[in-house]
Amino acid sequence: MISIVLDVVGGVLLLLGLVLLTISLIGVLRVPGTYGQLHAQGLATGPGVIAILASSIATENPAIITFAVLAIVFIALTSPVSSHAIARAAHRRDQHPAATDSGSDDTSEP
Amino acid sequence: MPTFIVVPALVWVTLLLVAGGLVLVRARDVFQRIVALDLLAVIVIALLALLSYLRGQPYYFDAAVALALLSFVATVAAARYLDQGGPFG
Repeated sequence: MISIVLDVVGGVLLLLGLVLLTISLIGVLRVPGTYGQLHAQGLATGPGVIAILASSIATENPAIITFAVLAIVFIALTSPVSSHAIARAAHRRDQHPAATDSGSDDTSEP
Repeated sequence: MPTFIVVPALVWVTLLLVAGGLVLVRARDVFQRIVALDLLAVIVIALLALLSYLRGQPYYFDAAVALALLSFVATVAAARYLDQGGPFG
């Protein structure tokens, strides 16, 4: 009984995670502007992959669940930091377009 | 977890990986390239997690956690390089 319930919950979480990853990828492909792309990417690096990793409860394997919780904690800690770093670099680029131009390989305007 | 859930999910995540590669190749500027690389790392983490569910082995999560660490360091280093010309200053 509890195994069936866990399977259903894991399947729903897995489907939710896949839908969120798909929406996020379409957003990164379609949305113009770095901040909008970061907004779309945050959907995958936050709730999307956490839902997929949380669906490990359906495996009923303690080692897998422990590693999944470890990965969830690590991703929840690091993904806002990397998003903030990208957004700060884009903001500095917008503020001083000529000063930080050395690192770009593609400076042509879209 | 039943196989008939995990195998279509693996196929779909593999298709998402191919689409992410296309986004990476067709990026408009360097910031979209960095964003797409971070997204690709997340998709590979999901792929490794699904492989772990399919095989019932927890060892694939070692690679997933290591990839999350490497992707974080790579993204922050690339962002700081674009920001001020070097990772440390």
